[in-house]
Amino acid sequence: MSSRRSGGSRMSDDQIADLVSKLQRLIPELRGRRSNKASASKVLQETCNYIRNLHREVEDLSDRLSQLLASADTDTDQAAILTTLLI
Amino acid sequence: MASFIPNLESAPDTCPEFKRRKRRITDEKPASSHSHQRNQRIKRWRTQREQHIYSSKLIQALRRSRRTSASSSAAKEVHETADRVLAVLAKGTTRWSKAILTARKMARHKKAKVAANTRLRKPAVSREKRKTPVVQRKLKVLGRLVPGCRKLSFPNLLEETSDYIAALEMQVRAMTAITEFLAGSGPQPPADRLASNVNS
Repeated sequence: MSSRRSGGSRMSDDQIADLVSKLQRLIPELRGRRSNKASASKVLQETCNYIRNLHREVEDLSDRLSQLLASADTDTDQAAILTTLLI
Repeated sequence: MASFIPNLESAPDTCPEFKRRKRRITDEKPASSHSHQRNQRIKRWRTQREQHIYSSKLIQALRRSRRTSASSSAAKEVHETADRVLAVLAKGTTRWSKAILTARKMARHKKAKVAANTRLRKPAVSREKRKTPVVQRKLKVLGRLVPGCRKLSFPNLLEETSDYIAALEMQVRAMTAITEFLAGSGPQPPADRLASNVNS
């Protein structure tokens, strides 16, 4: 089914729908729905939103982490060792 | 290696033997097993083992980078380090991970020829007439969000997106755990926390 070589210009509607439903399963927003028939546009929109949210979370976490590392400088080595053991 | 980490392998959706077998297999298999391979890779992001590996590598990298660099925009640096370690962990099999690593190299050595290479590589035709303009537009947006995937066809973009999302989710879980741990044990001496948790 995976038509990697084809440029995509010969994809049937079924194939598109199939790929869209695969994507839908990855998005928490849409996964819980009973009707697994969100439109392609909605699935793509939610996918983009989800990735943007994840990016933002990572950015916020980076910010917090940089502050924590700055304030705990002397304990960083100990924290590093403990973190690898306990997390 | 897992012997002194207590009850961390008990997640029901991960299979320890399976993970150990598939852990080191990264060479390209023929197309018939490719999607299987791809699914295994995505599932790997969801295992606790992968998260632990990522966490420890991230911490090591953060310690190294703190010693060498200035403190201007420390958050940005943490972010870049986190992305780089994530891309390295992907073991170079996905386009997004290669793009992240390449982008860093470009910023450092300013190699213009890398940009030329990416243009030659996969000029995927995006002339699907069956998709509405709305869908086309959103596909484009998605292609911009996933690193290195601006000109992929729909199936390939989907493949990259699946892997990328799984990796990002793991990144968030790992960084959250690290942050909570550091925030919790910051003011108090770490020895107390250790004594209460591990007592064997």
